Amino acid sequence: MSDNSLTRSETTATQPVPYRGGGFSPKRARWVAPVVFVILITIWEGGARLGWISPIILPAPSEALNALIDLYNSGDLIRHLSASLQRLVGGWFFGTLLGVAFGVAAGLFTLARAGIVPLVAAIFPIPKIALLPLFIIWFGIGEESKIATILFGTFFPTVIAVYGGVDNVDRGLIRMGQSFNLSWWSIVRKIILPGALPAMLSGFRISASIAIILLVAAEMIGAEYGIGAYILLAGNLMAMDQLVAGVTILSLMGLTVSWIIGRLEKILLRWRV
Amino acid sequence: MDLHLDHISHNYDGTAVLSDIHLDIPKGQIVCIIGPSGCGKSTLLRFIGGLEKPTEGQVLQVGNPPEDSLNPLTYIFQDFALLPWRTVSGNVSLVLEDHGIKGNAADAIIKDVLARTKLSDFADALPKQLSGGMKQRVAIARALAVRPACLLMDEPLSALDSQTRELLMDDLVDLWVRENYTAVYVTHNLNEAVRLGHKVVVLSRRPGKIREIVEIDIPLQDRQAHEHLLSEKQAHLWELMREEAMAADQELAHV
Amino acid sequence: MKRFNMNLFTRRFVLGAAAGAATLMGVVGASAAADKVTIGALRFTSHSPSFIAVEKGYFKEEGLDVELKFFQAAQPIAVAIASGDIDFGVTALSGGFYNLADKGALKVIGGLMSEKKGAPGNTIIVSNKAYDEGVKTPADLKGRSWAMTQQGSSFHYMAGLISEANGFTVKDMQLKPLQKVGAMIGALKSGQVDGMAIVPHIASALARGGAVKVIGKIQDMTDYQVTTIFTSTKNTEERKDVVQRFLKAYSRGIADYLAVMQDQEKDPAATEAMVDLIHKYVYTDRPREKAAPSIKAGAVYLNEGAALDVKDVERQLKWFQSQKLAPASLTVDKMVDASFVETLK
Repeated sequence: MSDNSLTRSETTATQPVPYRGGGFSPKRARWVAPVVFVILITIWEGGARLGWISPIILPAPSEALNALIDLYNSGDLIRHLSASLQRLVGGWFFGTLLGVAFGVAAGLFTLARAGIVPLVAAIFPIPKIALLPLFIIWFGIGEESKIATILFGTFFPTVIAVYGGVDNVDRGLIRMGQSFNLSWWSIVRKIILPGALPAMLSGFRISASIAIILLVAAEMIGAEYGIGAYILLAGNLMAMDQLVAGVTILSLMGLTVSWIIGRLEKILLRWRV
Repeated sequence: MDLHLDHISHNYDGTAVLSDIHLDIPKGQIVCIIGPSGCGKSTLLRFIGGLEKPTEGQVLQVGNPPEDSLNPLTYIFQDFALLPWRTVSGNVSLVLEDHGIKGNAADAIIKDVLARTKLSDFADALPKQLSGGMKQRVAIARALAVRPACLLMDEPLSALDSQTRELLMDDLVDLWVRENYTAVYVTHNLNEAVRLGHKVVVLSRRPGKIREIVEIDIPLQDRQAHEHLLSEKQAHLWELMREEAMAADQELAHV
Repeated sequence: MKRFNMNLFTRRFVLGAAAGAATLMGVVGASAAADKVTIGALRFTSHSPSFIAVEKGYFKEEGLDVELKFFQAAQPIAVAIASGDIDFGVTALSGGFYNLADKGALKVIGGLMSEKKGAPGNTIIVSNKAYDEGVKTPADLKGRSWAMTQQGSSFHYMAGLISEANGFTVKDMQLKPLQKVGAMIGALKSGQVDGMAIVPHIASALARGGAVKVIGKIQDMTDYQVTTIFTSTKNTEERKDVVQRFLKAYSRGIADYLAVMQDQEKDPAATEAMVDLIHKYVYTDRPREKAAPSIKAGAVYLNEGAALDVKDVERQLKWFQSQKLAPASLTVDKMVDASFVETLK
């Protein structure tokens, strides 16, 4: 073998250099996701029809779809969705508003940073579900405790994202602002906030997902309607088709939010290289 | 308005950075400051513009800035410092907004400074669409918009390739010939210093002291015609700098 | 029925999906020839017959090698029986149970706790605030809020019983699912909900503390087969003999329990001995002096011989179906195998 290669390299003096580049740059391939999705669903449906997958373990996708259609026809889908969306939007909006305020404060002021950052680090990892009994005492079993759960869940990641974003704004731009005698408020409004916007938007992406995750927890308490309540009920009733249908709705909500934020990024961050 | 640097010294965490800098910056002149890296020349520029305070001494304004000057001491940065989310005209308007100049008045100024920096066609472009030279011209336009009494330029051409640098140097010369602006120009490039400086201040290695002030009395617009005179000046400057640069280099290796 | 033989992964999936219940194992007895049987149990006094039959060796005498597996909630027991992990369980009939039964996995084989006039039974309590506002009888609960663990739970059904006995429907009550009994009590004490039903010893303890008011009992309204004994369909078909022996031993446990606990004054020494036995399994985190009153007060009525009130089971199923909490295709015949015990009425 080695003899052979030796003689060949001596006799053939010219050859193309071996190519060692390439790879490490995944491209977009729009058709892959739907194909994977269709194959998985087909295997799942087929397995259920042929009896390989017991209905106790997992309902067939068609059963879940039927549950979804039933839900729509009964008119409850709209009730569940509107109840959940109100909680999501309310909780997320106020959590984000407070999170941005505290995050910007922590990014700008020494005292605020010293006060807020350790507090956030201490409270962020606490599962909000564990605080649910406390929320019931503080906010009752009405909408307040549900909104509070989502609010708390979205507040902390927003603070962290915004504070990090403000911290990472190019100091050179701030110095430029000062050198042109821009007022403090102008520097914050025209330089720091737009500069922190990319970090804020990716923070929103995370906080919106957390809000959806917390929906089920929030609707554990005294919720008659809501996607989370619907999923909980399905679990209690061992109605796996409804469970899968409910989880699918959550996942669709997640996809929608991700799409909206993707559009926002395209529009608001046009300037990014 | 002239500027007067009155015995400026500076320590940073116990390390002396600048020592007893005494210098006049007369109206209508470009003063170049050169020196080996780490000699404190950029720090000195930040003192002049009031972005930092020296430990000792002070920077004095002699006489009042012109009435119409919005921002007497105006910087031009090495990295351009343009807001990437604003267009070319938006970046210029940024520095006018805080002075209450909006609408037609702002548009007129923006149009004027963009014309003066040959950017009229790019008013609506975003910084990411511009080349490095154009970005620095936007920064210059922005500086001109506030009618500065003195331009403070911190290695404005260092981030550019050499062809662009030549073109921009010509632009700065043209602009000076037309407007006679005052400027402090920090650079480590000797060629820039002899092309643009009426006075070239050579700083020693850290702690930076004024080693020599070289006056070049050839008018800016004629300098390219006196190639050999310039090379002599440049060679002289290099002699002054060489030792310092070598010593500074050694020093860094010790740190 | 081969399809319920799941591998380890899928069992975990089902258990985890159901409740993530933690189980504790207590292995009791071991004779070589005995049939191995696993019972899913909760640490409630109403599960005492299991403990008595284990402690007194009734199962062993029937040739059963019994292992008790403890759960945190009833529903995971039903799931574990459906998946074949355990053999017998006791549960209230709930929405989850009906759905599992509809898949053909489970069969009710006997009755246990019943509402019987005069015996301790589920008690209706209301918040002090609601009481002051005039909620003084179960009929006053119309238009009021009602705490329950979940939709389709026995607490939900009891709201249905109250409303039907008093001429309104459960839709006239505002149902508040709060997941846990602790949360229900908390919400009631703080006046965030108006009423709920709860086992007698908890109700009396709360009322004694002045936190709530007792306004009635479920047993005053109707008979109610609260809990039933159930096993897998596979056991009723392939291990009939084991099921019979299990129920025989279990009935002896019930008989012992009734004899002592329904008239606790009759033989105080026997009562104390019974409390000692039960305390090995229930309220183990409290000292005996503190556990004893709760164990005594919680001596609910259990059906002799594990007899089953099939009529009431059918009534419950109908109600759950009317509320769309049980599948319409489920019938009593599909869910109940009444061949092992006596049926009531």
